[in-house]
Amino acid sequence: MDASLLTITPGAAEPIYRQIVEQLRRMITSGQLPPGESLPSVRDVAGRHAINPMTVSRAYSLLEGEGLLERLRGMGMVVAATRRARPAGERMSLLEPRLHDLARAARELELPASRVLRRLGELLEDGE
Amino acid sequence: MNAMPNWNQDHAAPLRGDRLSKRYDGKTVLRDVDFALPEGAVLGLIGRNGAGKSTLIRILMGLIEADSGAATVLGDPALALSDATKEALGYVPQQPDALGWLRVDEMFALVRPFYPRWDQDFVDAQLARARLPRDRTLAKLSPGERQQVALIRALAVRPRLLVLDEPAAALDPVARRELLREIALRAGESGTSVLFSTHIVSDLERVASHVAFLHEGRLLLQAPLDDLKERCARLWLPGTGAPPKIEGELARRPQPAFGGWSLVVEQRDGRWPAAAQQPGARLEALGLEDLFVEIAE
Repeated sequence: MDASLLTITPGAAEPIYRQIVEQLRRMITSGQLPPGESLPSVRDVAGRHAINPMTVSRAYSLLEGEGLLERLRGMGMVVAATRRARPAGERMSLLEPRLHDLARAARELELPASRVLRRLGELLEDGE
Repeated sequence: MNAMPNWNQDHAAPLRGDRLSKRYDGKTVLRDVDFALPEGAVLGLIGRNGAGKSTLIRILMGLIEADSGAATVLGDPALALSDATKEALGYVPQQPDALGWLRVDEMFALVRPFYPRWDQDFVDAQLARARLPRDRTLAKLSPGERQQVALIRALAVRPRLLVLDEPAAALDPVARRELLREIALRAGESGTSVLFSTHIVSDLERVASHVAFLHEGRLLLQAPLDDLKERCARLWLPGTGAPPKIEGELARRPQPAFGGWSLVVEQRDGRWPAAAQQPGARLEALGLEDLFVEIAE
């Protein structure tokens, strides 16, 4: 990942470390940053955006604590390969866009909700 | 106004002032300022023009004497710096004008022997990068060039303590960004403690770990920047009468168009004031610039 993918807004009410945490969390949960992907070094990010390296370290540490990043020897920070189970709410939010797509398609096809839900239930049970 | 934690008890602080006061021509410029720069911090000193920023910095650097109070630099009294402290100190005044009759390269050759940790490679690289003419006399450089030369000199000593008075004032945007980057990386990698004054809030917000507000000679706030952003907010309270004084209140003003008051409030023990739960009340995140303007009025 390149440090320039981060957008830093110094004047925002949100502290810079939180801006970094939020953006990386989105990129990781969305899969834009796949497991194993290397993160730019603290120095790279700090130098690129002319921000305090401690701010970047703080963001990385928070994400490491959440299990989204891991520190690999000789590689620096990478997106965690084996993720600790994340809360259901967070995993559900990943599914949300597809559920919206599905709901829209069902409405466009004028299918009754009960029928769609029954079929979805079957699929989930079968593991197909 | 002094509710924010401060570091006045931090006796190891690389730079500190205790109860500094200064008057010029019957006008009070600093009143009882307690100041401390935490080790390894990048502290942005912010205030309007005339707030007393340069006076405070000049007293801390031992260039002028306070009417009362004491300042220390790396443990030495500001008015009696040891050689070891001088070698570890990088300072750039607002308008560098020393040694103006010397050429750029002559000035560097003159000051270099005083600093055992002098980094000549850094000087050469920076002069080339900024395209600064080595053979021009300092007095003939533009204000921006003069400031850049002074900054290179201050950084070349590999200071433990770097003090910059309005360092970005004469710089163009590219040179300014370059300077901020240098400050940030020095602090992060060499552990340099940095004090810089500015009236440009966005410069401060990029690199500062701590912020101090100086207003009309008083230090209103001293806090880690992230804390300040997370712990302060604007609270909108509907109602015609003035709301009672709230714990954690930093400033207030009537807002006729809204039909009530807006207050700047600070969290206590991680909680917003109870007034935020009133019907019609609303909390709004506050950027540093807004916070500064609200408190400085």
